Amino acid sequence: MSASPRIELRKLTKVFHSGSADLSVLNEVDLEISAEESVAILGPSGSGKSTLLALVAGLDRPTSGEILIDGQSIQTLSESELALLRRHKIGFVFQSFQLLPNMTALENVQLPLELLSDSRAQDRASELLDLVGLTDRAHHYPTQLSGGEQQRVALARAFAPSPAILLADEPTGNLDRRTGRTVLDLIASLRRRFGTTLVLVTHDSAAAQLADRRLALEDGQLVPATSDTDGLLAPSG
Amino acid sequence: MNVALYFRLLARESRGSLKRFAFFVACLAVGVAAVVSVAGLSAALSEGVRREARQLLAADLTISSLQPLPPDLHELLTERPELQLTEIKELVTMAAVAHPTGSPGTSQIVELKVVDGVYPFYGILEVDPPGPLGPKLSSEAVVVAPDLLTRLELEVGSDILLGGQAFRIAGVVHSEPDQGAGPFRLGPRVLLNGDGFRRADLDQRGSRVMHRLLVKLPAGTAGESVERLATEVRERVGEFEGIRVRTYKDAQETLQQAIHRVEKFLGLVALLSLLLGGLGVAQTTRAWLASRIDAIAIYRCLGLRPNDVTKLYLGHAVLLGLTGGILGAAAGSLIQRFVPILIGDLLPVSDLAWWSPGAVAKGMGLGIGLALLFTLAPLLATRRVSPLRVLRKDVEPVPQGRGVLLLLYGVLLLGIWSAAALQAQDAKLGSQFTVGIVIAAGLLSLAAFVLMRSLTPLGRHLGPVWARHGVASLAQPGAATLGSVVAVGLGVILVTALAFVEKGLSDELRGELPTGAPTAFLIDIQPDQWPAVERLLVEQGSSHIDSVAVVTARLRTVDGKTVSELAKDSPDDEDRRWALTREQRLTYLDELPADNSIIEGELWSDPEAWEVSVEEDFATELGVELGSRLGFDIQGIPLDLTVSTIRTVDWRTFGINFFLVVEPGILEDAPQVRIATARFPEQGEQSTQDVLAAEFPNVTLLKIRDLLDKIARGLERMTSGIRFLGSFSILAGILILAGGISAGSVQRGQRVALLKTLGMTRQEVAAMMATEYALIGVVAGIIGTAGGVLLSWFVLTRSMELSWQPYPRLILTSLALSVILTALTGIVASWGALQRRPLAVLRAD
Repeated sequence: MSASPRIELRKLTKVFHSGSADLSVLNEVDLEISAEESVAILGPSGSGKSTLLALVAGLDRPTSGEILIDGQSIQTLSESELALLRRHKIGFVFQSFQLLPNMTALENVQLPLELLSDSRAQDRASELLDLVGLTDRAHHYPTQLSGGEQQRVALARAFAPSPAILLADEPTGNLDRRTGRTVLDLIASLRRRFGTTLVLVTHDSAAAQLADRRLALEDGQLVPATSDTDGLLAPSG
Repeated sequence: MNVALYFRLLARESRGSLKRFAFFVACLAVGVAAVVSVAGLSAALSEGVRREARQLLAADLTISSLQPLPPDLHELLTERPELQLTEIKELVTMAAVAHPTGSPGTSQIVELKVVDGVYPFYGILEVDPPGPLGPKLSSEAVVVAPDLLTRLELEVGSDILLGGQAFRIAGVVHSEPDQGAGPFRLGPRVLLNGDGFRRADLDQRGSRVMHRLLVKLPAGTAGESVERLATEVRERVGEFEGIRVRTYKDAQETLQQAIHRVEKFLGLVALLSLLLGGLGVAQTTRAWLASRIDAIAIYRCLGLRPNDVTKLYLGHAVLLGLTGGILGAAAGSLIQRFVPILIGDLLPVSDLAWWSPGAVAKGMGLGIGLALLFTLAPLLATRRVSPLRVLRKDVEPVPQGRGVLLLLYGVLLLGIWSAAALQAQDAKLGSQFTVGIVIAAGLLSLAAFVLMRSLTPLGRHLGPVWARHGVASLAQPGAATLGSVVAVGLGVILVTALAFVEKGLSDELRGELPTGAPTAFLIDIQPDQWPAVERLLVEQGSSHIDSVAVVTARLRTVDGKTVSELAKDSPDDEDRRWALTREQRLTYLDELPADNSIIEGELWSDPEAWEVSVEEDFATELGVELGSRLGFDIQGIPLDLTVSTIRTVDWRTFGINFFLVVEPGILEDAPQVRIATARFPEQGEQSTQDVLAAEFPNVTLLKIRDLLDKIARGLERMTSGIRFLGSFSILAGILILAGGISAGSVQRGQRVALLKTLGMTRQEVAAMMATEYALIGVVAGIIGTAGGVLLSWFVLTRSMELSWQPYPRLILTSLALSVILTALTGIVASWGALQRRPLAVLRAD
């Protein structure tokens, strides 16, 4: 384990300006996540879970506070530097899969490896597809795949470059219970295999069981999740 | 990102975008084709003129004059044995069928060319039977153009009358190297030699004979020697003494200038098509990139930098630009190949290059440059796509900063101006073109905006549901209303303006002659022939007979300054040089004709001075005013006249009018001929002409109707070329419209599916779309037609000084075609959406 945490949030605040009213979604949030740890962040729809994820990924800028990845503060990085950070360290899984529709399953998985100039990109991508059980669907386009299959391709793509961090945003939100379970199991096994730090955002307490640590977002603050918190969860919109 | 990955991504990104790419390429190719065809044809003509320079003159040097060339000039040239000389005379006269009974045969005006010596020195004289011209001509034999045989129903071996003498037709002439370009010829060619000309006795006093001496230097003589000889000749005869000395290089320069003038104008017409193409390219790119926003967000999320993304789509723009450029260049070169087949006889040279590398480079350069310029804004917009969209679909791209926006507009305008200045080879004209385009596009945008804002609320009150939805579609988000109105409107402006100018010109020339206007001119009448000619005209039933004397003269001085000096002072003012050095034709009259009005001075009011009345425009060209003194040389006798009146002339009456009218009592005894005008009886035109040709073979008769028809026909052929180019802009407009519609095909498909699910029939959906596009057509049609009419008014009245007519039928046609074409294009482009089954679309959604 390295000296500094993999992800560290210091007094992270995000305020949205909407007309004359300001909406404070995150309010001086502090959090440390160590390498290979997995954290689930629970909360009802609109509580700021996805905002938190976006800030960690450098997809959005905080109003104030600091985000450190492996001890490096990221809010001062330029868009290009943030892109490179994501390329090298961060994998994503989304509720709506976010596969590139004009690429085959194999090409979708290949892309992050190609961006890292991996000379074995195609072979590695094939291996990953094999791991998620989609070898025979490698040359299909996303529209030709079911929701579960698309999410498995997305998982293969996320893990392909062996990222230090995997950010998962409601990965089972668009799937039926059984398929969702399969996807969660895959996430768990792949994470173990690659030693990836996981931040899982969900409103599904069953999904949250996957994580070592469960936190809830309440009024802009992170608090340890309790069974009460779980009970408060509303279906995601 | 390494190069291999870059190209792999390019290929992957192209998948599923072929239709959009096809529109991009087609829009650009249409514009490039227009530019390449104009530039290519012009370059090929220039090259042809350069290559065939000597052929165009049929000699190294020509000396021409309306007076017989001075004997000392002949001496100068004949004492140099290395020079070969051929004397040519050209005049217009009447030819007639030699009738065995002695009664007058059918007559026809002809252009006579008298050749004494080797002809041509350069180039090819196409004659049938083939062989040199000399042996075919004799004192009794001529060679004629094929259309004379057709018109007079003669054949080779038949006899024709020239100057009352019979000549045997020994052959047919198809083309002469020095015939020049252009559709204007008074009559078919007749070639004869000097002996024949003397026998026909057509060189009478006052006949308009152009004397031309063709000079050939020994083969291999350098161009400088030709110039030296030309200078020597000019020094001997005086440059502005009515004698024109031209080397093959001068001839080439004149033609090159003419080619460049036409190229400038047509180049701008072609550029408009290219700009419309650019608009289509912008619209297609914008729609394409809008459909890629989610993909861009994913790319960014996976670690592609903003620059990587922009470079990726820039690569597409470059590749598509190249493809459009190449296809357009190929199409343009193909047009260049076929134009000479269609209008070859209007061109000064025959053997044209098939394609011009320079033109292809220019067309492709302009095309790709403008394509990149027009895609710049949508390409830069990719940088503003937030990767956050992967989490929240509602995240819109960051708005473009005002400064960047202004900069983008500035760059676009600068680009358009540069292209226009390049095409017009003139910065000022380029600026005018750019301002015109901006104003027109601005007005069309405003109209589209008003349409979207005002008609949509009004549409809610319309009866049928399809009409309501059709109107509402115009203002829905993502509707291509603005782009379509601008594109179609700009095309309509150009095509309507061209149609109006063409119709205006044609009507001006083909319109009914004013009541009482003469229908024919009679020229070269000897004074002693006039009473008999007049009697004959009366016997044949002619009315409105009028005749005046004509005295030819040369202007020597204006207010004491010689014409040579004055002409040298304004080397670039062709009109002034022409006015000063032309063969002046004077008449003398007690009273001015009714179609003249004095605007300054009083007619024949100074008993002390010999007076002359000068036409207003001619006075301006000469630079004279009341009291100016004009020194003339009337066949060797000097004559000083004072300008005592300036007058305007209504030339459209076709009466006999002169720039210079002299006070009576001065010129009566000068050598002169008469010209006359008359109104021939409608049915008896040909018989009057035939009788005249038989009895007075030296008198030439010009039928005004025929003359105007010939000019109109020639102009129509020239304007057809411009119309052809104009049609490119309409094609570009239609493509843009179709591209815009197809860009929104996904949303359209969903909408159609929803409406069908809700119970709308396919016919009603089609009617709804027809309403939407017809309205675009109405707005583009109204503004475009109005713009085109305004432009034509400007061109006709200001630039051509002709009258302008409103032509309601043309306006209605333009409007109707705009609406029909736009509605049809809309329906055709939406056909796919109309045909799809609603379930398939909704499931895919």
